[in-house]
Amino acid sequence: MITAVQRRRMWAMKGLLALAFLGLGFRLVDLQVLRHDRLSQLAKDYTQRTFFFKPHRGDIRDRRGNLLATSVPVKTLCADPTLIKHPGGDYCDEVGQALAPLLSLNQADLVPRLQPRYQLNEQGQVVTHTNGLPVMNRYVVLKRKVSLDQWLQVTQAMFQLSTQAMARAQAAAKNQGRKLKLAEQNYYIGLGSKAIFAEDDQERVYPQQRLASHVLGHVGAGERPVGGRDYLEMIGMDGVELTLNPALVGVPGWRRTEIDRKQREVVAHRDQDVAPRNGLNVVLTLDARIQEMAEEVLEEAMQKHHPISASAIVMEPRTGSILAMATLPNFNPNQPNLSPMDALRNRVVTDLAEPGSTFKIVVVTGALNEGLVRLEEVFDCEQGLFHFHGKPLRDHERFGNLTVEQIITKSSNIGAAKIGIKMGPDLLRRYIRQFGFGERSGIPLVGERLGTVKMVKNWDKLSISRIPMGQEVDVTPLQMVMAMGALANGGMLMRPMLIDRIEDEQGRTVAKYQPQAARRVCREETAQLMVRALKTVVATNGTASKARLENYAVAGKTGTAQKVIGGVYAPDKYFSSFVGFFPAERPELCILVVLDEPERKRGYYGGQIAAPIFAALAERAANYLGIQPDRATEDSPLTSGMTNKLAAAAAN
Amino acid sequence: MYESALNERQRRVDWLMVAAVLGLMLLGVIFIASAKMAEETARQVPWYGQFFFKQIVWCGAGLGLAGVTCVLDYRVLSRWSLVAYGLLVLCLVAVLIPGIGTTHGWGARRWIDLGPLQFQPSEFAKLGFIFALAHFLSRPRKELRQWPVFGRALGLTVLPFVLVLLEPDLGSALVLLPVGLLMMLVAGVPAAYLQRLLAGAGLLVALILIDVLFAPPGWQIKLEDYQRRRLLVYFGRDYAPPNATAAERQRLRDASSYNVRQALISVGSGGLTGKGWGRGMQSTLGYLPRSVAHNDFIFSVIAEEKGFMGSVTVIALYGVVLFSGIRTAGQARDRLGRLLAVGVVTLIFSHVFINIGMNIRLMPVTGIPLPLLSYGGSSVLCFLIAIGILQNVHIYRKSY
Repeated sequence: MITAVQRRRMWAMKGLLALAFLGLGFRLVDLQVLRHDRLSQLAKDYTQRTFFFKPHRGDIRDRRGNLLATSVPVKTLCADPTLIKHPGGDYCDEVGQALAPLLSLNQADLVPRLQPRYQLNEQGQVVTHTNGLPVMNRYVVLKRKVSLDQWLQVTQAMFQLSTQAMARAQAAAKNQGRKLKLAEQNYYIGLGSKAIFAEDDQERVYPQQRLASHVLGHVGAGERPVGGRDYLEMIGMDGVELTLNPALVGVPGWRRTEIDRKQREVVAHRDQDVAPRNGLNVVLTLDARIQEMAEEVLEEAMQKHHPISASAIVMEPRTGSILAMATLPNFNPNQPNLSPMDALRNRVVTDLAEPGSTFKIVVVTGALNEGLVRLEEVFDCEQGLFHFHGKPLRDHERFGNLTVEQIITKSSNIGAAKIGIKMGPDLLRRYIRQFGFGERSGIPLVGERLGTVKMVKNWDKLSISRIPMGQEVDVTPLQMVMAMGALANGGMLMRPMLIDRIEDEQGRTVAKYQPQAARRVCREETAQLMVRALKTVVATNGTASKARLENYAVAGKTGTAQKVIGGVYAPDKYFSSFVGFFPAERPELCILVVLDEPERKRGYYGGQIAAPIFAALAERAANYLGIQPDRATEDSPLTSGMTNKLAAAAAN
Repeated sequence: MYESALNERQRRVDWLMVAAVLGLMLLGVIFIASAKMAEETARQVPWYGQFFFKQIVWCGAGLGLAGVTCVLDYRVLSRWSLVAYGLLVLCLVAVLIPGIGTTHGWGARRWIDLGPLQFQPSEFAKLGFIFALAHFLSRPRKELRQWPVFGRALGLTVLPFVLVLLEPDLGSALVLLPVGLLMMLVAGVPAAYLQRLLAGAGLLVALILIDVLFAPPGWQIKLEDYQRRRLLVYFGRDYAPPNATAAERQRLRDASSYNVRQALISVGSGGLTGKGWGRGMQSTLGYLPRSVAHNDFIFSVIAEEKGFMGSVTVIALYGVVLFSGIRTAGQARDRLGRLLAVGVVTLIFSHVFINIGMNIRLMPVTGIPLPLLSYGGSSVLCFLIAIGILQNVHIYRKSY
């Protein structure tokens, strides 16, 4: 018989049981449903690891394959301070002493960084475990860009240090009549193999040092988030490094995988394993040897004339390819921060100046092309003083009647002004724009300026007489050389070309760039007439007789502009230039030389100081390239033939 | 012997309970396989040497024993109960002797080595204890009100409790207490006695806890180091020596609470539906320690791999077993049967609650197996025999 008490107790038991199971169920809902996200994140934190694989940043080469920029593997040296200072011993001083000379660091600076510290978060607060105890920092960067050789020395030093430390500890333990415990041994093993570790990195190296530094630019470190973590990479900061950064940088690879409790990777659980794609190599149109020649002659000019800066551009008129683009002062892209900011500027694209007489080619070409004048047409040059709207306009010499050709030869300001007045403002401005002034040339470099070509409505009364001689307009040296190149190229203005092709690692061409014409500036006949006129500049009675070459007919134009400083023409500051091309009838090279504020004592006229630099550079470049002479020297046709063959051999 | 209508055999086992028990055993085998799969050394063993297969063998043997148990009338069996109790007490004493008991490298002396097999007497002692106490308590209710009888019943409980505690195996010892208490309550020992007993025991436990947690080292009672540590961890206190540095304190704390924390993460990361069989990262990658994943922490493995669905299934299966057990107790033909059923149900429930509670951090870590799921021969045999007893009581239940 079941009594009532027993029945009650039975129900109580059932109730208790149900209650207990309810409790379990409640806790399970709490853990598996409500706190699932947080707990599974905890589980993932234990197991999931993401590694990045950095791609090799692409090389930059010149058109002949000379290496201008490359990346070499280096190490970032790191330390785990908790393995250096430990209840088992403090080895900060010893490690500091061993590493400081190897890394050329100051020991006094190094030792404190090896001391264990609390880990801090972004707000500078100490990171703690869930139970409130602080987390120790186990990652300290000691030095970046450590060479592989140095890294080997460091590992060797750490191994020796830990071996000696263990030997000392073993001797001490033996004195106490015991053996080292396994945990103690592990400590010394950790000191030798894990306390100092290295991460892979790469360093940008410019083997030619300063050569073409403005074209190449330099790199810096950039951080961007990839997959929720900061990814450190090299990014271009200037020059081709910056404009072609997307091609050079490559795509980082990554591996998302899991590790087991003993920190071993579980290869079967790799769920994402993406190999990095290395950066592409860029091949420039530059020729490192011509670039070097340009920098050498500019260096001589700097010594001689002490200008603020000197620049030269060597360009192939048919294609617009830039073979050399040099500016002094330059910088060492391996250590860009050691140079003054001024030296980092690629002045041939970023600096504007009134061009002076070289600009006269624009007005003369325009007038010839429009049939307004002929080369033989005579203008009265007013004996060097021409009053226009009540203001005097002077020539550097007193000229009487000059033909249009002679106006170019002698660089008469008054003659150019009169041609300009004959053309009228609208037509003149149209030709200025056609020659590419006031617009970007399209060269793949950053910081290129447009220049200023005023709207006709903003011209004052004097403008029509001043603009033809290269005042009241601001142009870049690059624009000037491209404009002259258009005349050399039969009237077709080309876009400057700096990138020849982009290749992959195996040298297969990914993209090949073709010469690109911007527009036709004038008819071909007009260009031929201009060449005829420009050839006379280099003749004995021209302004640039010093630009003469022995074996080649040169066409060119000098420029000597007074610099505008604070809105007025400074009396003794000049911008001297020469731009010309050769061989005149089938031009191979167009070269611009610019000196900014040369010292007056050795002359300041473009014809005086820029023309010889042009000649020196042209001579060497022509020899190197083996350009066929178009002017056999009367005295020794044989020798010139010889030089030619030699040059051709050298070019091969 | 004659069979009266009152003593009629029903010839029907409780199939619902049997189904639940089979389900639990199946789950156990499946997830023991999963927990052991990732272990390289375990994988190299031939299939018949692997843990899950051994568990199958134990289950088979256990089912056989359960069959035998439920065929013989429990009243016949209970005649031998005091003998069995005596033998088991002898075993419990023997296991404490270093030459006979082995430690399996665990620090606690719990096993008797029988050549290829190890025998854990504390598991069987639980059954012997239930039988003996049920036999002893199934006497006229009047006698139960006498202090000496109550005292002897108490003695029957305390003797195995102390012996198991000495192994030391705190968990197995502790489950004897609710079993004894509930059996006495159901037998009709006056509630006032039990209340006094409970109050006294509660006071004692509180004193022990206060002593362990707060007393200076010289005043503390001697507990095994790991037991003390587990208690301190459960109550969220440090057990590092006072002169330890912060880093050492942290390391010790990490090391000791490691299993529980990993179990909690396993259960929680399982979510609603789990990660799939053999895909629980916590267990396969060894974060949930491999030495315990297949026995004490098998629930974490199931919860991680089958999620909330899996853990609720497990609890539901235990619910079926336990509620059918209580029903069986209610229908028992006599007090002996009822006491046996109540004892077994309480035993199973205590194991389930303490073990699952430990896995989800409701209970301190005590290291007792989850009935029928955890790997272990003695435990599986013991619980299947216990199920056999329940079925026995069910078969010989009242037919009216």
